[in-house]
Amino acid sequence: MDNINLGRHISGQFNEDLENVINHVMHMGGLVEKQLSDSLTAVYDADEALAKNVLANDYKINALEVSIDDECTRIIAKRQPAAGDLRLIMAIVKTIADLERIGDEAQKIARVALENFSGEQKALLLNLDNLGRKVLEFLQATLDAFTRMDVDSAVLTHGNDEKIDREYEALMRQLMTYMMEDPRSIPQIMSVIWSARALERIGDRCQNICEYIIYFVKGKDVRHTTAEDIKSL
Amino acid sequence: MISVSPRTLDPKVKLDLNNLSPEQVALEIKNLNLYYGDKQALQNISMSIPKGQVTAFIGPSGCGKSTLLRCINRMNDLVDICKIEGEINLHGENIYGKQVDVAALRRQVGMVFQRPNPFPKSIYENVVYGLRIMGENNRRVLDEAAENALRSAALWNEVKDRLHDSALGLSGGQQQRLVIARAIAIKPEVLLLDEPTSALDPISTLTIEELINDLKKQFTVVIVTHNMQQAARVSDQTAFMYMGDLIEYSDTNTLFTTPAKKKTEDYITGRYG
Repeated sequence: MDNINLGRHISGQFNEDLENVINHVMHMGGLVEKQLSDSLTAVYDADEALAKNVLANDYKINALEVSIDDECTRIIAKRQPAAGDLRLIMAIVKTIADLERIGDEAQKIARVALENFSGEQKALLLNLDNLGRKVLEFLQATLDAFTRMDVDSAVLTHGNDEKIDREYEALMRQLMTYMMEDPRSIPQIMSVIWSARALERIGDRCQNICEYIIYFVKGKDVRHTTAEDIKSL
Repeated sequence: MISVSPRTLDPKVKLDLNNLSPEQVALEIKNLNLYYGDKQALQNISMSIPKGQVTAFIGPSGCGKSTLLRCINRMNDLVDICKIEGEINLHGENIYGKQVDVAALRRQVGMVFQRPNPFPKSIYENVVYGLRIMGENNRRVLDEAAENALRSAALWNEVKDRLHDSALGLSGGQQQRLVIARAIAIKPEVLLLDEPTSALDPISTLTIEELINDLKKQFTVVIVTHNMQQAARVSDQTAFMYMGDLIEYSDTNTLFTTPAKKKTEDYITGRYG
């Protein structure tokens, strides 16, 4: 079972239902990725219009979560999926919850773009953007692994969270130094901290999604196990 | 010292089906081959069926699941062209041994079929039929046995006021429970159910499924079913068979969420065919 094997259901309607729900998840993933990317750009370029756009678009992600949940409920009620089909539905239900939260985090980041940063403080945003681009890559790799239901790249991608966490800690130390040097900048630095925190949380959620991919493909629940356990799969 | 907490709460202890202790085993099937004339219908089946549990056989039509079930109380003896090799051990004794009294075996291993087959007698006489054949004629013993069996089969409350009416006046679901009552009245150890709900409506089916769950407290139940969801609901172990082979045999939760074999996966997700 190395990829999604949808073609051979006896029930064509069931195939269609599963294909539709997967397509909707991918569409949702694409939207979330765009929201995160836009929010980072908005902060870096101090682009107020783009930030407002991000804030205004979040409802689309929320609506998709609700409708995909609904589709999954209907499939469970009508088809009683088993084995791989069941694991796929479970993985999807959990994945979209994490995607929706990533959307919310992107919104938090976009809000930072609406604040005024003085010239010197802009340097802080550069470091935030660095972390942000890494998280965005992580999200892209995760969605890629989901699209292909590729367990090897899910395992590989899963390990990225550790790097993100380390970068986050380094950024925190740096921000604290700034605060000590210039207490007047604390309000702005606090909002940078919230954004960094949001990015770190997005990393955790990507890691969760990788775990769901592993669960779907391998049938093993790897949540709350060690990185070694996951690599040894 | 850091104490390591378990990853899941209260993990369910699974039976190791390949290493059951002798007390846990109700039936042991060993290298069973069965031929109808030249055609081999069962290929080298080996499995242990645990005591006091429900074991389901699933698989497509013609996979041998009913044939295997029938082997357990030697129903295939009635088929002339049928030839059987291998062993089925009940209490460590091969039921295909030369000394075995088939009638006695069938008292220990009861069977219920797809279509309810009550005798054209009263409800009461249906239930005590087996006991009468065994020579029991004491009215009080028979009354008590009938009530117990009907209660165990979840039918007592529906028929207690008309025990002497014809059994043929009962609904299909009631008739099937009556047949189960008849089978358990003689207190077998193993109860074989061959698609017991395939001729019943959904509500009667649920009643029988509920009943199966109660029956396993007293009997070892082996059920053949076409309805996979039913196997998932009622059984503790499931065996998936395909073209005379036992493909996968494991605890039901594992088989329906993470089957080990591709063939099993394809069958239970409806990709077979």
